[in-house]
Amino acid sequence: MSCQDQDAARRLDAYLDAELDVPGTLALEEHLRSCAGCRAVLARLSALRTALQREAPPEKAPERLRERLEARLAPPALRAGLSWQWGFALAAPGIAALAIALWLAFSAPAFPPLAPQASSMRVVYHISSTATARGALRNLANHLNASPEVRVVVVAHNDGVDFLLRGARDETGQPFEPEVRRFLERGVDFRVCYNTLERRHIGASEVIPAATLVPSGIAEISRLQSKEGYSYMRL
Amino acid sequence: MLDEVERARFARLVLPHMDAAYSLARWLTRDPAQAEEAVQEGYLRAFKFFGTFRGEDARPWILGVVRNACFRLLEQEKAGRSTPFDEQAHGEDAAAPGTVVRFPVDPEAAAIERADRELLQRCLRGLAPEYREALVLRELQGCSYREIGQIAGVPLGTVMSRLARARRLLQRALAADLPQRGTGT
Repeated sequence: MSCQDQDAARRLDAYLDAELDVPGTLALEEHLRSCAGCRAVLARLSALRTALQREAPPEKAPERLRERLEARLAPPALRAGLSWQWGFALAAPGIAALAIALWLAFSAPAFPPLAPQASSMRVVYHISSTATARGALRNLANHLNASPEVRVVVVAHNDGVDFLLRGARDETGQPFEPEVRRFLERGVDFRVCYNTLERRHIGASEVIPAATLVPSGIAEISRLQSKEGYSYMRL
Repeated sequence: MLDEVERARFARLVLPHMDAAYSLARWLTRDPAQAEEAVQEGYLRAFKFFGTFRGEDARPWILGVVRNACFRLLEQEKAGRSTPFDEQAHGEDAAAPGTVVRFPVDPEAAAIERADRELLQRCLRGLAPEYREALVLRELQGCSYREIGQIAGVPLGTVMSRLARARRLLQRALAADLPQRGTGT
């Protein structure tokens, strides 16, 4: 049953991987119709893929690795709880100090910035449904008007991520993005759960630039609560 | 302010791929502690050289950086000990790529598809790193040939031949362990 058409046999992998161009695909499909040998090979390659994807599921990076990296990527001043703008201001005079400032600037944490130490009230808004996003933003605006000093992080998760995607509009057709930008200017952070994106097959590039991604919305919420003293509000 | 922008860019473009990087590192190093070490080294390096990265899709880039960290670790390990890996049993298979000898059509495909986790993972771990890498990137990370070439630093033709070879080697390793069926063919 072995196939004599070496060229076709060599293309089976590329066919399975959808890497053949259109004429190549058509030609191979033509060949497959008449060649039981190649059909069998293809069936086995495909079975192998199925088994691998089922039995070798992706692993999650351990939380301690994330934490360690965060700590390693943050300069010492930040680790001690000083905001990095402070570090910059203190280091400003003198060339050596400038070098330190540059180093600080370059190696500042690559992760969502730490909450300013001065802010007393910190609230994390948890948005897990698009239906409530508009209402949540209204509440948020009221909240900021009543307490301008409050530090708010919005964590979007599950269906709640939709309003932070490009071109998202509410049920009245109003786009969300301009409003999100205005909140951003008022110091509100929008963080999107990457697990949700992956599960729902949404590309990271679909998220509006005003929002940042966090590996897990739930982990972020509990981190903000346990490590940074945020109170929790679900909307 | 550039640093602020770059920092946000790193968080947006690179950080979300940590799980993918860790998965790859797990398969390449075959050891959780080494995988962590490789991801850490890779991310720190990536952060240091992030200024050289252009574009929006950082996945192949960061996977390439972490992949190189894995291979550095593997080389260090190899230099540090004289006994070869257990992969030799499967990795040194002498048959040429693509020379598939017999096809008990559906039973074998069905048997492969039913392979259990322990067996499949053991056979995958048994492949030489280059083959394991090609399979993991393609089947588990869903990378295109071009991305695999970019990550592993090899031309497209090499990606294709490695992947084809990796699949045949893995099939053969599985077949050696799977319950024998249709031996009359």
